[in-house]
Amino acid sequence: MNAISLKINNEGYDVPVKPHWSLAYVIREKIGLTGTKAGCEMGTCGSCTLLLDGKPIFSCLRMAIDAQGSDIRTIEGLEEENDGELHPLQEAFIQDHGMQCGFCTPGMILAAKHLLDHNPDPTEQQVREAIGGHLCRCGTYVRIVKAIMNAAETMRNAQATQ
Amino acid sequence: MEYYSPTELDHAYTLLDKYGDGAVPIAGSTFFMSHREELFDAADAVIDIKKLGLNYIRLNDDGLHIGATTTFNEIFDHKLTRDGRYAILSDTAGELNTNEVRNMATIGGVICVAGEVDMPTSLLACDANIIIGSSRGTRAISMSEFHVGYLNNALEEGEMVLEVHVPQPPANTGAGFAKFQRTAADLPLVNVATHVSLDGAGACSEARVVAGAATLSGVPERSAAAEAVLLGGIIDDALIESAAAASNDIECVNDFRVSAEVRQLWVRCGVEDTLRQAAARARQGGEV
Ligand SMILES: Cc1cc2nc3c(=O)[nH]c(=O)nc-3n(C[C@H](O)[C@H](O)[C@H](O)COP(=O)(O)OP(=O)(O)OC[C@H]3O[C@@H](n4cnc5c(N)ncnc54)[C@H](O)[C@@H]3O)c2cc1C
Repeated sequence: MNAISLKINNEGYDVPVKPHWSLAYVIREKIGLTGTKAGCEMGTCGSCTLLLDGKPIFSCLRMAIDAQGSDIRTIEGLEEENDGELHPLQEAFIQDHGMQCGFCTPGMILAAKHLLDHNPDPTEQQVREAIGGHLCRCGTYVRIVKAIMNAAETMRNAQATQ
Repeated sequence: MEYYSPTELDHAYTLLDKYGDGAVPIAGSTFFMSHREELFDAADAVIDIKKLGLNYIRLNDDGLHIGATTTFNEIFDHKLTRDGRYAILSDTAGELNTNEVRNMATIGGVICVAGEVDMPTSLLACDANIIIGSSRGTRAISMSEFHVGYLNNALEEGEMVLEVHVPQPPANTGAGFAKFQRTAADLPLVNVATHVSLDGAGACSEARVVAGAATLSGVPERSAAAEAVLLGGIIDDALIESAAAASNDIECVNDFRVSAEVRQLWVRCGVEDTLRQAAARARQGGEV
């Protein structure tokens, strides 16, 4: 076992890991932040997406030991970033029913957050590209795209009134 | 199994020597982790190579130099690869349609994999060189010799890839890339890259026509027949069509995903499409 520390949502976690344990596994099973979902565990479903140093990655394809020193953000960190309120993306997913079972939702929201942080006014095509690596077994894509477009508008309006 | 994260190349080389064929350099880890069941047992040490300063894209007089741990998204977005004579590299990186994987996967990793991937096809079309380092020094090897078979590259024990060098093409050069896949997030079923240069009179002075990801030999291959059709000719519709028809000298695999026949038809279509794009780019001076 190797003792490592991870910085997740601005919080430090010391945890012993084996080198081949994935970041997704450690975050869920050893640290207990189960918002990050483990689906295919081979990089094809997107449910384990989190932000590593600001960029979305698949945490099933990253060794936990290889994420030391990085700034990790999971779905649990979104509220904190938004002063304790649900993030506009989370609100929009609720409003527009951008989910059915909810398993893909954390990954979808984090991929969308990265898009909107860099492109506040995306086209529908850009939204579809941003979530291109994410599967929704319930098939709610149309509503997911709508939720992201609506969240983008809410965020732009909030920005404009500030 | 041990884990190391060296910050000096010499340290990385010492570790590669110490663990021999039990040493596994890890870059983006996207291939390694998605094949972990098969790969972990054979690994005595994983060596993170992301802190060795091999993350860069630089333009010198002799062409473009891309460090081994440069990610697909860095290649996709960089001003040196996005436009101009090296745009085929951004085009190819962008064909890995998953943003999350593009943030992780590296150019060094993708060429080492030597399987159903896209970038080596384009690098062969660009006649790239692979710069390899070890405690014994550095050496350069042509992309045409770097893949020695399916999932098999020319690295020897103790060696790692440091850089990809894409030679500066002549003026009036253009290139194009095409990928055939079942869904946007798939690996290629077959892919094609073409690279043409024009002389002062507009005739084709250099041509490389490549198909990859599913050739019978397991490595990207050039079509000698298609290149012979192009050389010396004016690249018009008729010449493009005959070059495309000639590209069936590259044999493709026949497997449960697609038949060899369909793959060969796709290669022909891909050669046609990419030649049109390559020729148009070459006529614009290679700067588009
Ligand atoms: C979901 C998904 C979709 C994909 N889609 C595509 C696609 O559409 N097109 C495509 O081309 N590819 C695709 N790929 C494959 C992807 O391109 C490769 O997995 C990736 O490029 C490998 O790079 P890496 O840095 O992650 O390699 P790693 O997993 O870190 O390493 C791969 C192998 O190369 C070795 N290695 C890595 N770097 C070096 C080095 N510098 N020197 C020596 N050895 C080294 C490692 O030891 C290991 O054996 C996809 C992968 C996934 C997971």
